[in-house]
Amino acid sequence: MSLMRRSLAELVGTFILVYFGAGAAAVTLMISRGAVSPNQFNIGIGALGGLADWLAIGMAFAIAIAASIYALGRISGAHLNPAVTIALWAIRRFPAAEVAPYILAQLAGASLGSLLFAASAGMDAVMVGGLGATAPFPGITPVQAILAELVGTFLLMLVIMGIAVDERAPPGWAGIVIGLTVGGIITTIGNISGASLNPARTFGPYLADHILGGAVMWGHYYIYVIGPVAGALIAALLYDYLSRE
Amino acid sequence: MRCYLCALEKRDSDAVAICIVCGMGVCMDHLVREEVEVWEGGYPFPSRKLKRKLPRILCRPCYSVYHED
Repeated sequence: MSLMRRSLAELVGTFILVYFGAGAAAVTLMISRGAVSPNQFNIGIGALGGLADWLAIGMAFAIAIAASIYALGRISGAHLNPAVTIALWAIRRFPAAEVAPYILAQLAGASLGSLLFAASAGMDAVMVGGLGATAPFPGITPVQAILAELVGTFLLMLVIMGIAVDERAPPGWAGIVIGLTVGGIITTIGNISGASLNPARTFGPYLADHILGGAVMWGHYYIYVIGPVAGALIAALLYDYLSRE
Repeated sequence: MRCYLCALEKRDSDAVAICIVCGMGVCMDHLVREEVEVWEGGYPFPSRKLKRKLPRILCRPCYSVYHED
């Protein structure tokens, strides 16, 4: 399979992730517009259903991730996430020459996902929903947000290592297990850092918001690079060490 | 072992292979040898086709069922 086709598969997979996952966050904010939030920590997601709002968003991500992995996993590997690609490269399971094309494809797919979601849902998705862009929640410092992203992506990458990279893993379970893991992580840390776990997932909404006249949030972007990449690297290197004979 | 299909035709010949599906012993005239592609990998790695293929021997009745369309 050529690198171009595999990169295209990464683009499509990340598009699906952002359109449906980040799109669900935007729709939740659009639905809860006007609802009275019980406190400043609640910006709208959670105003109607409490933590169930985050569970619903997590499930949208879970299903989109599982669908992408089952549909495209054999073609590109369906990393859908620059942090995963970098971590696999770090443990020498992914060629260095293909890291940049994969990441570019993931960023392009995420941007396309956000732009097409805005085209589907209208400008309220940008102005009210922020296209599901992530940012630290009120009272959360950047360091706390980085820590939450790091721990969340650590769990995600640890599960990827155990259920997919490890040759002893039972076949066929990766999509559903990894999807549900992301859903669970989002439920817990969504209202802390936004639960990106993925530099591409944050890049797409940021770029589309910027282009379409929404909030400009690039000042937070480093959080969603440092946290996920560090978490994925630690998990991959740790698993590699633990599973060595 | 004798070829089952030859025996049905009232002929007698040695079986040289066993059908992987039904287990029937068959002679060279009543077998079909296919070359099956083998892929390795898959999430989170792109799968790739191996250079060598896997031999697969079927009797003619089983082959015709698999290739009915």
